[in-house]
Amino acid sequence: MSETYARRRQEPTNAGGFMLAAISVLATIAVIAGLVYATGVGARRKALLAAGDCAPVPGLVVTGLDCTTEQQLAGEYTKITTPAVQQLNADVAAYTASERHDLAAAESALMAQVTLAQALDKSLMRFPFPAAVAPQAKALMQAIDVRVKLTAEQARSSSLGQLRSFNSRIQTASAAVRTDMKLVRKALYTRPTADQEP
Amino acid sequence: MATTRNYEPDLYPGDATDRWTEQKERAEDYERSADSYGYQPRRAKRVDEWMEVEFKFGGSRIKRKAVALVLLGGPALVPLFFCLPALFTLDSNTFSVAVDDVLGTGAELCLFLCLLISPLMTLTGQRWFFPLRRWYGIMMACCGIGDAVAAGLTDTFSGGFFAKLTEHTFTLVGLIMVMLVIPLLITGNKWAQRKLGRYWKLLHRLIYVIWGLLAIHLLTLFGFQPDIQVGGAGDGDIIFHQRFYQYSACSIFLLTLRLPPVKRWIAARQREGRDWLVVLTITPIFALFVFGMVFLINEEIFKGIDMFNNTPSAE
Repeated sequence: MSETYARRRQEPTNAGGFMLAAISVLATIAVIAGLVYATGVGARRKALLAAGDCAPVPGLVVTGLDCTTEQQLAGEYTKITTPAVQQLNADVAAYTASERHDLAAAESALMAQVTLAQALDKSLMRFPFPAAVAPQAKALMQAIDVRVKLTAEQARSSSLGQLRSFNSRIQTASAAVRTDMKLVRKALYTRPTADQEP
Repeated sequence: MATTRNYEPDLYPGDATDRWTEQKERAEDYERSADSYGYQPRRAKRVDEWMEVEFKFGGSRIKRKAVALVLLGGPALVPLFFCLPALFTLDSNTFSVAVDDVLGTGAELCLFLCLLISPLMTLTGQRWFFPLRRWYGIMMACCGIGDAVAAGLTDTFSGGFFAKLTEHTFTLVGLIMVMLVIPLLITGNKWAQRKLGRYWKLLHRLIYVIWGLLAIHLLTLFGFQPDIQVGGAGDGDIIFHQRFYQYSACSIFLLTLRLPPVKRWIAARQREGRDWLVVLTITPIFALFVFGMVFLINEEIFKGIDMFNNTPSAE
C-alpha cells in the first residue's frame, strides 16, 4: 500500500473521529442539561397547578393524577351518559312493545325509565362541568326533569289509551333531551377554530 | 475481489452517502466481510447466522429471525390500531381531534425507526434486522397518508378536502410529504426495484427530503419556543414535549451515523478491536436519541389510548 494512499485513508478516518467526538460532547451537554431540567419537573408542575394551568399534554409521570383535563372531563361525561342512554333506549323499546296490550308491563318499563333518568340527573348534578358548559348542562338537566315528570305521570295511567295519549309529549321531551345532550357533548369536545390554530 | 454489495442485494440500498464511500474507498480496504454498512465483526456474523437457524413450531419450521422481526415490526401497527374504533364507528369528532396526533406522531416514529436501521447496522455489524427498514417505511407511509386523508375529511378548517390540506403552511408541507411518500410506497417492492434499476435508489433517497420537510412541518405547526406549545405546559416538561426538540434529539443520532467520515472511523475502530471507543463516543448521542424517542412514544400512547376510547385529546 503506497504512502500517499495510506495518508488519504488516514485523514478522513481522523476527521470522522473529531466530528463524532464534537457531536458526542454536545450530546453529553444536552443530556446532562435535560436531566438537570427534568429534576425541576415537580416544582414546575406545582406552579402550573397553582396558576390553574392544566393542559392535555402527555406527561411521563403525573398526567391525569392531580389534574383533570377538558378532554378527560369529556371522556368522563361520555362514560356517564352512554350507558344511561343505551339503557333508556332499551326501556323505551320495552314500553313500545307492550303499550298496546299490557298495561302492567308498559308501566313497569316507564318506571324503569324514571328511575334511570333520575339517576342520570343526579350524576350530572354532581359532574364538574366547566363554567363555559354550565348553561348547556343546566338546560340538559331541566330537560331531563321535564321528561321524568311526564314519564312518571304517564306511568300512573289507568288505561292503555290514557297511557298512549302521553306519547307525543314524551317524544317532544325526549327530543329536547337529545338535543341538549348533543350540545353539552359538543361544548365539552370543542377544539380551537381554524384561525386559532397556529 | 470482495464486493461492498454482498448483502441481500435485492433489498433496500444503502444510505445516500454510500456512493461517496464506494468512490473513495476500495473494498479490500476492509476485511472480506465488509459491506456498504462497514466492517462486520465475526461475532455480528455469528448473530446473523444464529438468527437464520430454524426451529419447529407446530407443524412448520420458522426462522428465529422471522419471530424477532415480527416482534420488532408489530408495534409499527399500533398507531393504525388506535384508530380502529373511531373508524368502525365513523366517529368524525374523534378523527377530527386526535388523528393529527396519533397518525402524525405514528408516522414520525416509523420514519425514525426506518432511519434507525442503517446506523444500527453500522454500529452492530448485524444484518438480520435489515427487512425492518422496508416495513417501517411502509408503515410510515400508511400513517402519513391516513393522517392526510383524515385531516382532509374531518379537520375543522374551512373549504373542501384539498383546501383543508393546503390552507396552512404546515398542512401544505404535510401534503407535499405525503405526495413524496406515495411513489416510495408504490415502488417499495422487489419488482419495482428490478424495473427501475439504478433509478430506484435515486427515487428512494426522497426519504431524506421527507425527513427534512418534517422539520419544516413541525416548526410551522408548533414553532420552536417551548412557551408557545399548543395546549400549554401540561406536566411541567415543556421542553421535552416540544416537537422540534424531539425531532432534533432523534435526528442528531440518525444523521451523525450517516456521515461517511464517521462511518469510516467506526469501521476502522471496530477493525482494530477498539469497540469500547465507539461505544463511548456514541453513547451520549444515543442517549439523546432515546430521550427524544421516549417522549414521542409517550405522546403516541397517551393520545392513542384516548383515541381508542373515543375520548380524544387535542394538543
